[in-house]
Amino acid sequence: MSNSTSTTNESDGSRIERRTFLKGSAAAALSAGIGGAGVSQVVQGSTESEAGSDGWVASGTCWDCHQLCGQRVRMKNGTAVELKGVDGHPRGSPGEGREGRLCSKAHAQIEKAYDPHRIKEPYVRKDGELQKASWEEAFQVAADKLATFKDEHGPEKLLMAEGYDTDDMWKHLIMDIYGSPNKVGHKTICHGPWSYTWDWMGGRGRPAPDHKNSEYIISWGRNLLEAFNGQWEPMGILDAIEENDATLVTIDPRYTKTAQHSDEWLPIEPRTDGALALAMANVIIEEGLYDEDFVENYTYGFNELRQQVSDKTPEWAAEITDIDATKIRKVARGFAEAAPNCYATVWTGITNQSNGQKNAQNIHVLNGLVGNLDRPGGLRYWESPVDLADPYEVQGVEFPSNQDGRSQPLSDYEEYPFHHVRGLAHAQFPEAVENGDVAGAFMYWFSPLKNSNTQDWIEALEEMDLLIAIDAYWNGMTRRADVVFPESSQLEKPMLGAGGSGSYSTQGWVTGSKAAIEPQWDTKPGFDILKGLAEAMGYGEYVPWDSKEEKINDALSGMGLTLDELDEKNYVIQGEYGYESWKEDGFDTATGKFEFVLDNVEDYAAAAEQAGISTAPEYVPPEKFGQMPDEEYPLDFTDAFVEQISRGGDQTLDHSRQLLAERWGLDHKDYRGNYLLLNPDDAEPRGIEDGDMVTVESPEGSISLMAHVTEGIKPGYTATTLGWGKGSITPNEEGGNSMMLHNADQIEPISGQVARHIKVEVTKGGDA
Amino acid sequence: MGEQWAFYFDANKCIGCHACTVACKNQNDLDPESATWRRVVQSGQGEFPDYEEISVSISCMHCEDPPCETVCPTGAIEKRDSDGIVTVNRDKCIGCHYCAWSCPYGAPKFDGDNKMQKCHMCLGKGAGEGYGSPAKKHEDDGGEKPACVDTCVGGALKAGPMDELTKEATEDAVNRATKRKGNVIIETGGPTVTFESESD
Repeated sequence: MSNSTSTTNESDGSRIERRTFLKGSAAAALSAGIGGAGVSQVVQGSTESEAGSDGWVASGTCWDCHQLCGQRVRMKNGTAVELKGVDGHPRGSPGEGREGRLCSKAHAQIEKAYDPHRIKEPYVRKDGELQKASWEEAFQVAADKLATFKDEHGPEKLLMAEGYDTDDMWKHLIMDIYGSPNKVGHKTICHGPWSYTWDWMGGRGRPAPDHKNSEYIISWGRNLLEAFNGQWEPMGILDAIEENDATLVTIDPRYTKTAQHSDEWLPIEPRTDGALALAMANVIIEEGLYDEDFVENYTYGFNELRQQVSDKTPEWAAEITDIDATKIRKVARGFAEAAPNCYATVWTGITNQSNGQKNAQNIHVLNGLVGNLDRPGGLRYWESPVDLADPYEVQGVEFPSNQDGRSQPLSDYEEYPFHHVRGLAHAQFPEAVENGDVAGAFMYWFSPLKNSNTQDWIEALEEMDLLIAIDAYWNGMTRRADVVFPESSQLEKPMLGAGGSGSYSTQGWVTGSKAAIEPQWDTKPGFDILKGLAEAMGYGEYVPWDSKEEKINDALSGMGLTLDELDEKNYVIQGEYGYESWKEDGFDTATGKFEFVLDNVEDYAAAAEQAGISTAPEYVPPEKFGQMPDEEYPLDFTDAFVEQISRGGDQTLDHSRQLLAERWGLDHKDYRGNYLLLNPDDAEPRGIEDGDMVTVESPEGSISLMAHVTEGIKPGYTATTLGWGKGSITPNEEGGNSMMLHNADQIEPISGQVARHIKVEVTKGGDA
Repeated sequence: MGEQWAFYFDANKCIGCHACTVACKNQNDLDPESATWRRVVQSGQGEFPDYEEISVSISCMHCEDPPCETVCPTGAIEKRDSDGIVTVNRDKCIGCHYCAWSCPYGAPKFDGDNKMQKCHMCLGKGAGEGYGSPAKKHEDDGGEKPACVDTCVGGALKAGPMDELTKEATEDAVNRATKRKGNVIIETGGPTVTFESESD
């Protein structure tokens, strides 16, 4: 593969390497100026469909990061050739009267629709080999295998694993009807330590911020301007900076694209975030900066909190976090002074930590102290006041609850504190297979090999009696399945979604579109796959629609809308609701108040006791549950998300990989995998230079990938992006799969989430 | 000469997401391996922890006095009188790459046919489309915004007549653009940004 950006004759082996940053000056240098005054101008674009079959005549609802940004689709001879945003869209624009836009992931949907790497037809395993099959045969084989499995093992031995479905029938079919009580989704691989904890504290697991009304934003272990949940997020933050003169703070050992725009970048010692939060709480309480009315009337556990943080000064935290005490005070004061129009939001930077639960709790304490919950510019308690009907109700479909009374495996695995909170966790699944508690799986858009202990998972996938997969790409999971159903991409199927969080702070919305193009190759939308399977299993009566369009129309009937109308508009705004829901309804928590201390949450109290931690805010150091760097493995390693690859679903797209290489200035190399970010302080003693192949080794295994040496990462800490290398969808499995370095013991004990900080050594050289 | 068209780029609004690059690729049906007309450059300076970085989206500058036009032996490159946009007549191009060597910004690109192609501010859709087309129209007059501008998530990119854009820009940014003789106004705060040509 040639990736040269220059066009010199390569036949003689010469290549000119393009440099994106030259130290020193060049003829075309732009001298650094002081940041210019930003200019905001709203230009009314038009997305009027042209008549005829060519032009901007179709719609889409982006699913690349599953956030439903509205799309217009330009058609040319039946092919989708170009996409653009929809003005005023709740997820894909800054709000009413504003232009709709699309990010690079959305534009990549064009390449995805026609991606030759996709699974192009159904497959069934015969004589040990996956072979092409007709849809009819694949449905029948899957139905027969599921029936046999039920007879041999019982439905409770089947696991349902779901990533991002586009039809909810899987849960009715596999759980309600078939009777499996087991599901793993995102809670133990993405957000459990945060969403459980914040739910216990404030009755909302992941309250999305009301970005545009904010005046002080702390992006804490989260890369809001790069790994955003729909474009309304970066748009809202840029609006807040421009309109409200908002302050943006990034707390992250990596210099991210969010850091580029931040007033403060705090490169914290990894996994010490809980200490920083307690010190900020100390400042806010000691200096009387908290919201007295809110704390007095709507919270629980303040006195215990006050006691807990009384000696947790910024000076105390500075030692632990490597953040200057002056900075800690500055940020704590700035945050509290902007209250309630402020928020501290977290994601995987916090949740991937072995001590992530307590760190998430300590951070949410700050939101509670300043009373920003469900207030303008704070953490919004979003609702969806749209009159969508339940399509099953419209058709009079009622489901049994055949999973009732069956327990999940691991619910009695008492060595795990999380067994008080939940049953199955992602990293412990292979153990359940080994113990005979799980014997099969139904996986819908689920890629376990990039999510935890890959080596154990490979064995588990090999060992199971049955594996049925719905997916679009070949990877270590689909290649091992007994039946593979290829699902169409977003532009090939009708879409519907409603919310909820977005650029309309007090209104609900619905968005959706018809299929812009026919399903490619011999693929089907999720609805059609699940309907075909349900019929083959003898449960056809539960899916009374002939097409997804019909089902969507039943849902829209509650609003007096049709999919044809919605496709034309792309979105509809409906309903109004106010802020401060807790004033009327209280918090949906054990005490009905916002809880600083969680001693009234039985499950948590039991799990915390077993894990040896308090129910109150406290500092749990990383070594309590996690691996620490040592002499043999002196670096702390983790993985993260990156714009171009979304959550790890775009590695097959040539252009997406190209852009990632360009992002690190390494596109002149032939390599197109992931990159290991290393500080020069760590690279130089190891003889590693930018663009070298390196080997990363943990006690569990080793991977090879390319190094990018940068000052934008804390010395002693090294990071890459997830979803590459062995078992991934990446062509030729290029790059390194970070989870080859992970073992099942590395979990956050309260939620069971995969802990992704691993001690490693990095050496020069590796397999390209 | 008609109005000189230009780009305006505000680094304070660019989130480095590359949407401009991919929108350009889709609209103009480009081979991204060899013909990225618009790219995003990350530029950093300083040492940890005093490190800073910006993202800059860059394409053809549609220069006042384009060196590519000067060196082109066949006269394939033209700076249009009607709107100042620099276009290429691919029928005349012989693929000698002089333009790429002379351009300080790495704008001229080549794909399999070894004929020059580059940004033409979306005068049309596809390589060489701008050549001989009518003057660029403002969206207020029914013209189309360049794909990159239309999709920019942060609203960092704009396109329009130079006179219109200079009103919005800071004096420093306008001065820099004037000095460079490029019709791209770049607002930056922070690191120096450099570009390369094939001659670097």
